[in-house]
Amino acid sequence: MLNIEHLTKHYKGSDKGVTDLSLHVVPGDIYAFIGHNGAGKTTTLKCIAGIQDFDSGSVTIDGKDLRADPLGCKRSFAYIPDNPDLYEYLTGIQYLNFVADVFQVPKAEREARIARYADAFELTTSLGDLISTYSHGMKQKLAILSALVHKPRLFILDEPFVGLDPKASVLLKEMMGEVCAEGGAIFFSTHVLEVAEKLCNKVAIIKDGRLVTAGAMDEVVKPGSSLESIFLEVVDHEAH
Amino acid sequence: MRHIDPLFRLELCNFYGLNRFLHTRDKKAKRRALALLPLYLLLVAVMAFYAGLLSYGLVLLGAGEAALPYLVAVSSLILFFFGILKAGSVLFSLHGYDILCALPLRQGRIVMSRFLRMYVEDLPIALVAVLPGLAVYGWAERPDPTYYLLGLLAILAVPLLPLAAAALLGAVVAAFSSRMRHKSLATTALTLLLVLGIFLGVSWLSGAGEEALDPAFLRELSAVVTALLGKLYPPALWLGSGEVLPCLIGVSLSLAAFGAVAALTAARFRAVCLRLSTTSARHDYRLSALKSQSRLRALVGREFRRYFASSVYVTNTVIGPLMGLLLASGIFLTGMERMEALFGLPLNVRSLLPFALALPFAMMPPTAVSVSMEGKQWWIAKSLPLSGRDVLTAKVLMTLTLDLPFYLTAQILLFLTLKPSAGELLWLLLVPASAVLFSSVFALAVNLRFPVLEWDSEVRIVKQSAASVLGGLGGTLLPLLGLVAGILAPVGWGSLTKGLFCLLAWGGAAFLYRKCLCTDLSRI
Repeated sequence: MLNIEHLTKHYKGSDKGVTDLSLHVVPGDIYAFIGHNGAGKTTTLKCIAGIQDFDSGSVTIDGKDLRADPLGCKRSFAYIPDNPDLYEYLTGIQYLNFVADVFQVPKAEREARIARYADAFELTTSLGDLISTYSHGMKQKLAILSALVHKPRLFILDEPFVGLDPKASVLLKEMMGEVCAEGGAIFFSTHVLEVAEKLCNKVAIIKDGRLVTAGAMDEVVKPGSSLESIFLEVVDHEAH
Repeated sequence: MRHIDPLFRLELCNFYGLNRFLHTRDKKAKRRALALLPLYLLLVAVMAFYAGLLSYGLVLLGAGEAALPYLVAVSSLILFFFGILKAGSVLFSLHGYDILCALPLRQGRIVMSRFLRMYVEDLPIALVAVLPGLAVYGWAERPDPTYYLLGLLAILAVPLLPLAAAALLGAVVAAFSSRMRHKSLATTALTLLLVLGIFLGVSWLSGAGEEALDPAFLRELSAVVTALLGKLYPPALWLGSGEVLPCLIGVSLSLAAFGAVAALTAARFRAVCLRLSTTSARHDYRLSALKSQSRLRALVGREFRRYFASSVYVTNTVIGPLMGLLLASGIFLTGMERMEALFGLPLNVRSLLPFALALPFAMMPPTAVSVSMEGKQWWIAKSLPLSGRDVLTAKVLMTLTLDLPFYLTAQILLFLTLKPSAGELLWLLLVPASAVLFSSVFALAVNLRFPVLEWDSEVRIVKQSAASVLGGLGGTLLPLLGLVAGILAPVGWGSLTKGLFCLLAWGGAAFLYRKCLCTDLSRI
């Protein structure tokens, strides 16, 4: 589904970035990507989503190379950034319709999906309002809806739970499960380690742009320990 | 003053992007900024040269004493005109408003810091416009040293009155719009109405120029200019008089007006900002049938929504086509013969009309900043399965569609007035259309070369960015070249000149469009 091979991206004039990162996400995976602030999570996600170019390595999505066939790759995934800056001059429904037009989602399908998910996230009555009037949480919900409206096989999410109310968080987790049950996959960054531990079957930890550990959750987190303790241990170990 | 200093420093911090330039680690961005420096200097040099030449001309015609008042008036008019377009959005900018209001600062100090920022931004324009005139007059007439001192004082005072007047109008527009549900639309409509009103008012007050070009008046040029300025803008006469008392009256009046408007704005600042920041949401949407359309149509629709959501964007870019329409309306209302008499030049104005019409239409197309205006939302276009061709073509199509109603109306008015022959009609249609196409693509290419996506104020992008200056005005060079070629070409070469112009415009547009499509959007 998603193969990242030796991905390297460095910013000019800065020591931050990602170095030689390799990861593999397969259908059915809910893959957590964790690391401290500035570790390189967002950079990695932006490179995968085609928002940022990278220096070397390769990214393959659904069998297509991101550099050779960027549009083909982008048709297979949905990306939601950590702080969804959406088009504030559009109404919620105009934005959803715009995304559906871009993905050429048939009329009946988009109506059914928007109706279903907007109701579930309690956003229907606000869809006629300008996005500029939305709260952070509502923007986050709308961004999630815009991802669900074209039914992608892969979800790339940067801190998807930030700003969501408890009910919406539960819903999102349920939908993540649904996506994976239908053969899709989710690759997301998070700081909420408890959620990652309970929700995900795989985890990767990144520190200073380098992958320090990755694998099945039950292999990384041994019985009797927790993801939190493993994370702190890895970070401390690297720091010393 | 204790609090003005840090606030003023804050306002000035990113003066023309200086702070970003000083502290960015992006060497490419620094190189880009440095590469632009010679162009800006060239622009300044051209303006200064023009002002100096104008003064020299007046000196040669024996009207040297009219040079300073004239330059003061012209720079004041420019500052006033551009001030109206930006005053409201700078003074009542909501960026950082919450943070500032939570600090122990008086509203008046916040307002004053914003006024001072606009003053500092305007001062270089006054300097470039007036200083050369002062120097030329000084060189030619050798006035006593007080003249220079008063001239420098006048330069410092030049931006005050236009700024105060523009701020007052901007504040009124902002206050009025803040009560509307569609604030941005109201601001756009009101600003455009104001600008049009002022434009027509100035034309009417200046007596349409016919008498000004009377040979009898030319002999008394100084008197003509003085009389004209007396009608249009009396403070220019005082500030540019070179005499102590009138100059001091002019400076005092400017300072008083500036202070009064600042005080008035401060009194209503919080209320206007609060109303501007209040959003209305109905929460009553019911899902009904949705429309589906092609990718390109969806993108063009989004471009239009983005465009009309920003009053600064609209007012600064719709001026060109509006001027084109005004030109056609003027000809429709007064007739071609009267228009030719108005110019009073031994030229075939009718034959040059396609170029004259092309000039305003090519000015400041929205594409000049359409990439930059994506701002923090640029990630959406980059992460969606959209090709660069789709995204960029939508921007050009939006600009062309926007110009279409102005273009068609202007053409209908000209057709009814001129009753052109088939050949004339062809060039009248083709030349402006080609110019619009070229300028749209040229401006887009410039914006792709100089994009700014990290911004906190639309004013900075629309009015002060490299793309808006180079892309917005660069596209007019081709019709200007056409106009000059049309003037210089021998009789009977009109069609050849226009044909060549169209070929150049289409060829240039095609070349630049292909270059634009080669741009890797993920690198922007």
